[in-house]
Amino acid sequence: MNTEKHGFKAALFRHETVLLFVVVLEWFYFNSVGPRFGSVDNSFDIMRHSVEIGLLALAMTPIILTGGIDLSVGSLLGLCAILFGKFWRDVGMPIPLAAACTIGVGALAGGLNASLITWLRLPPLIVTLGTFSLFRGLAEAITRGVDTFTNFPASFLFLGQERWLGIPAQAPAFIVVAIGIWLLVHRTTFGRSFRAIGFAPEGTRYAGIPVERRLALVYVLAGMIAAIAAVIYTARLGQAKADAGMGYELFAITAVVLGGTSIFGGVGTVQGTLLGVAAIAILNNGLVHARQPREVAGMLTGVLLILALASSILPKILATWRARRQTSLNKTPVTT
Amino acid sequence: MKRHFRELSVAAALLLVLLALAVLAPAFYQPQPLLSLLTREAPTLVVACGMALVIICRQIDISVGSQFAVCSVAAGLLAANGWPLPLVSLASVVFGLIMGAFNGWLVAGLRLPSIVVTLATMVTWREALRWLRQGQFVNLPDGTQWLGLSQLAGQCMLIVTAVVLLVALALATKHLAAGRFVYAVGTDAEAARLAGIRPQLTTFSVFAFMGALVGLAAMMNVVQSPQVDPKSGSGLELKVIAAAVVGGVAVSGGRGKLWGVFVGLLLLACISPALTHLRIEAYWEKAIQGAIILLAVVADGVRNRKETV
Repeated sequence: MNTEKHGFKAALFRHETVLLFVVVLEWFYFNSVGPRFGSVDNSFDIMRHSVEIGLLALAMTPIILTGGIDLSVGSLLGLCAILFGKFWRDVGMPIPLAAACTIGVGALAGGLNASLITWLRLPPLIVTLGTFSLFRGLAEAITRGVDTFTNFPASFLFLGQERWLGIPAQAPAFIVVAIGIWLLVHRTTFGRSFRAIGFAPEGTRYAGIPVERRLALVYVLAGMIAAIAAVIYTARLGQAKADAGMGYELFAITAVVLGGTSIFGGVGTVQGTLLGVAAIAILNNGLVHARQPREVAGMLTGVLLILALASSILPKILATWRARRQTSLNKTPVTT
Repeated sequence: MKRHFRELSVAAALLLVLLALAVLAPAFYQPQPLLSLLTREAPTLVVACGMALVIICRQIDISVGSQFAVCSVAAGLLAANGWPLPLVSLASVVFGLIMGAFNGWLVAGLRLPSIVVTLATMVTWREALRWLRQGQFVNLPDGTQWLGLSQLAGQCMLIVTAVVLLVALALATKHLAAGRFVYAVGTDAEAARLAGIRPQLTTFSVFAFMGALVGLAAMMNVVQSPQVDPKSGSGLELKVIAAAVVGGVAVSGGRGKLWGVFVGLLLLACISPALTHLRIEAYWEKAIQGAIILLAVVADGVRNRKETV
């Protein structure tokens, strides 16, 4: 199965290397267009804005590796942000306890996805489409569409807006989660089993791996990471509203697919996802510096997703074309 | 009887809701509000029929809401420029057809998964529309609303159009070869190919047809008001997927009946007025919609499990 060639030339044409080149190119282009783009302040700004989407993309990577998808992470971010505000303001919990409870809610919500997907063997697509609507609807119902949570203490806002040891304060949390997911996917037998499930779920079952438990793990993990992202989002903006994280699932999926993870499952890396997040974050921020309206960034993300998908299956299409030409050249009359 | 069990159980649920409304909120049955409720749902029914075909073909299309908005605004602009209404309707259908065919090309031609493709086109069309129009409403010229007829005649015409289309499609999926192809491809694309059906062509056609139906539905929506809202159709995809799933269309493909979709849509359409009449706040609508989708797929999942065990 492992046909990767080693050596300098092979490394040069790896997906991640090409993507890294694209990211660097992007950076230099926007640096030449927007005068303030390259400053340290702006680089930190890009980092701050990409943490939440980056967390969701990290959570999405193992899910897509197993051949699944989770459309509900953006809505869950909204619901968790609201509940975090509710725990703090209305229940009167201290911030750390409220954050812990929020992560618990995230785990529960992920558990709902997981139980429907594994016990009833329902397709992840339709389950998470339902919870996509359910979680956002609950957030709207709890706030009645108008209530917002603000006036968080400065010690909490520090996490989202200030610097710690010279870097944005939320960066350490992101780095910890990123390392955790990288270890899980690339350095444990769990990560191996995610890929195996993505290639052939039935075969994996016969190989003695508890497919259901592994699947449940990735969806619950995604719920918890979405809750962490919700807390960081609230700290960055200083407020929690029912529309928090709307459309973030698209950015997360785009980052993962752009990072070289196959949407059909089985192939992909965490470092690719991180580069995908960087590419999207730089594009979004750079377009603002190039004085383009915000809608263009959203539009380009959609186009980028289609292009990334198309390029990822290009080798497969070429192979089938070649095979078809072969068969039409050696065509023999069919007698059956 | 047994073959229609799933649809009949939804119909029973609908009857229960209607009975509950008759007892608790008889105001629901006043002719004028009821007629406008049905008129509002007529375009949704048209889109839901298309979505049912897409899901039966074991695909999904979540870009219909954005297609709907693009077609609505395009139709409004053409009408405002003085195009005759029949030509505007045709243009709207063609716009939809092109967008649907684009999805179909990506899904059937390049073999990309429909969920991600339509997620991408959903955002692309929606943001492109926002960028080009900056959220402006389109004012329609006089004589566009209700096609220049009286309101009652216009409402009846829209409802009749939607129902005629539903009946035609229900018959076509049952009795025409092209209709059976959709079921065959949704059940097992490889078996369908061996039986001489071209699965990719069928999938492409279903997406293109879906787009055309969205164009028609957009036109049916445009003639209902004196202005075109550029945000119209947001959330439409969830509404029609919910209607199809509640109406017994299996998300695993190959199973479902269009009259079931009709009943499912009516059931969902009664929820929002029922909420108002029963004094539950309207903010719950989205959450209840999500819960109903989950409930419907769970019911199907439990049934499938019993069958396979």
